[in-house]
Order: sequence, then structure tokens, then C-alpha cells
Amino acid sequence: MSKGRITNNVRTLRFHRSEMTQQELAEKVGVTRQTVIAIEGDKYSPSLEVAFRIAHAFGVPLEEVFQYESSDP
Amino acid sequence: MEMDLSYQEKSILGSLLAMVIVYGYYFANALRHAGESEFGGGAIGRLIFAVIAIVVIQIVYQIILALDSKPEPKDERDVLIECKAYRNGYFALGTGAFLVIGGVIMAVLARDAAPTRIIVTPFLIVNLVLLFMVLAELVKLLTQLFYYRRGLR
Repeated sequence: MSKGRITNNVRTLRFHRSEMTQQELAEKVGVTRQTVIAIEGDKYSPSLEVAFRIAHAFGVPLEEVFQYESSDP
Repeated sequence: MEMDLSYQEKSILGSLLAMVIVYGYYFANALRHAGESEFGGGAIGRLIFAVIAIVVIQIVYQIILALDSKPEPKDERDVLIECKAYRNGYFALGTGAFLVIGGVIMAVLARDAAPTRIIVTPFLIVNLVLLFMVLAELVKLLTQLFYYRRGLR
């Protein structure tokens, strides 16, 4: 199975929400600030549930926050 | 260079240091008594002392850590990292158990060939099992630190 890559716009979306802090987003989503940092740095792909909660916190559809880049040609 | 360590990482580092110091001292002591065959009063005393020392150091360290930085509850990333760490720790423990069992069988088989040179004592077996338990825990803690630094992709 080829492995794709998940990218995200969390940092940009936080910026457009009057610079919502990582701590504020973490509290809204129910994870630690360290996890928000890891997601923004593409060092962690969250579960589907947390991904939906992040999208909900920004009030946008999931695809606007996370994108999947397939490595298949 | 200052490293920004999370609460979980600080907690793991504390456990790691406590284990290295206490069991390092314990096994250095055990080596000095390597001639003993039974795991008797003195050896049991040293083991109980090591266990109590670990518990006391851990409690004191966790209290200091909780006062110094705000405790964070574990989230899904912490749990996932812990699962991967337990997998590696389990592998290390299983390998250790296999080596001890294999070693005892080999020693028994070779005993007839060299009866005075190969002696499997309770002291040796208890300490070998304990050593692999400690190594498995160290593997678990180091795996956690590794994934916290490198990330899960």
C-alpha cells in the first residue's frame, strides 16, 4: 500500500481567527497544546474525530483544514 | 540550545533518570556479590531498597514537576505514543525471557561437559530476569521520548 501525506492549514486558519492561540484551539478541541504544535508541524495526523473537532472549532468543512496528497501517480 | 519539553516528556525523563540511577546502583552492587548462589536475605534487602528508592524518587519528582509546571491530561497522541512504546518494551521483555530460558537450558545441557565451570544459581537467574525487566522499561521510556521528539507520521 502506498503511503500518502496529510497536510493541514491549521496555522493559517488560526491566523484568520484573530490569531487564536494554540492553547485556545487545544482547549476547544480537547487535546494538549503539544498535540496542536505537532499537528501544525506535520508531525502528527490526528484521529478522524479530532480532525472533525478542529474543523468544527474553525467553522469550516474538514477538507478546508486537512488535505490528503496521494503518492500514487 | 533550550529544549521546549512538554509535561509528559519531563515526567518520562524523571522516570528514566530514577531508573538509571537506582538500578545502576543496584546492579553495580549485585556484580560485587556475583559469587553468591542463593537469592537470600542480603539480596532481597537490596532489591526491596531499590524498589522503595524508585517509588520515593518518583513521588518526590512528580510532586515537584506538578508544582513547577501545569499537569496536562493525556490525549490521543500521548496514548498512541504509549502504545508504540509498550510494543517495543514488550518485545525487549520477550527477547530477555527467551534469552534467560535459552541460557538456562544451554547451561543444563553443558553441565555434564564442564560441571565446575557452568553454574546456574537462583541469584543469577533472579538478577538476569530483573535486568531484562529494567531494560524493557528503559526501552519503553526511550521509545516515548523518541516519538515525542520525532513525531508520528
